[in-house]
Amino acid sequence: VLCFTGGHTTEILRLLSCLSESYSPRHYVLADSDKMSEAKIRSFEQKRAETFSESQFSLDRIPRSREVRQSWTSSVLTTLYSILYSLPLTYKRKPDLILCNGPGTCVPVCLSAFLLGLLRIKRTIIVYVESICRVETLSLSGKILYYFSDYFIVQWPDLKKKYPKSVYLGRIV
Amino acid sequence: FRFKDSLAEDLQGADLVISHAGAGSCLETLEKGKPLIVVINDKLMDNHQLELAKQLHRDGYVLYCNCSTLVETLQSMDLSALKPFPPGQPEKFASFLDKVFGLQ
Repeated sequence: VLCFTGGHTTEILRLLSCLSESYSPRHYVLADSDKMSEAKIRSFEQKRAETFSESQFSLDRIPRSREVRQSWTSSVLTTLYSILYSLPLTYKRKPDLILCNGPGTCVPVCLSAFLLGLLRIKRTIIVYVESICRVETLSLSGKILYYFSDYFIVQWPDLKKKYPKSVYLGRIV
Repeated sequence: FRFKDSLAEDLQGADLVISHAGAGSCLETLEKGKPLIVVINDKLMDNHQLELAKQLHRDGYVLYCNCSTLVETLQSMDLSALKPFPPGQPEKFASFLDKVFGLQ
């Protein structure tokens, strides 16, 4: 299960580019306001299907939990709404792995999976890769998911120093 | 342009790219080996785009400025001083995940 919007999509598809077919089926989760990501994903999966004939994927949409420049108070409300919306989706898919890289939309999905883990319904490994844009500071999603993810990956050494529990693999996109 | 699927063709034909500091835009441009001037959007929340532009500039890969200094930058730029940009390594990420799931 993967979630992203806009520029994050390009990054996450690069992350996926070297994954083997063990990471299948892939369920993509998009914000309902995102128009361009769907095209990028379909194109990516189409190319993939040329090499791996049994490639499977699906696309789900959830309400975007935060718009750019949205105020803090309304962000909390829309995020709560998104968590409620995500729970049935996460419950239905019961992913083994959630991979995300930063847009606010991914926080409710990850938190809903974390919750399902606490309730012993499904233990999902949450892998968060902070965007390459983040050199010195974490995004808001990153700051939250640093505590909820199983593996938190950063792409610049300054962040590794500031967030010692993170994993630094160099630039991976 | 808003709904174009890919700017790859346009990028290929360009001699100079002026772009916002979005990761996709910067990386795609740098990977095609095109000289890049990054313009920062002052209105985005906490302006995180600035970090990447600054780092890429520090490492010598791009020029950067904001909307008001663009003309000045264009007038005084030296594109030959820009360094070639090494690609990222998603295979390291795949390798890492494989280890996590015991697939290696």
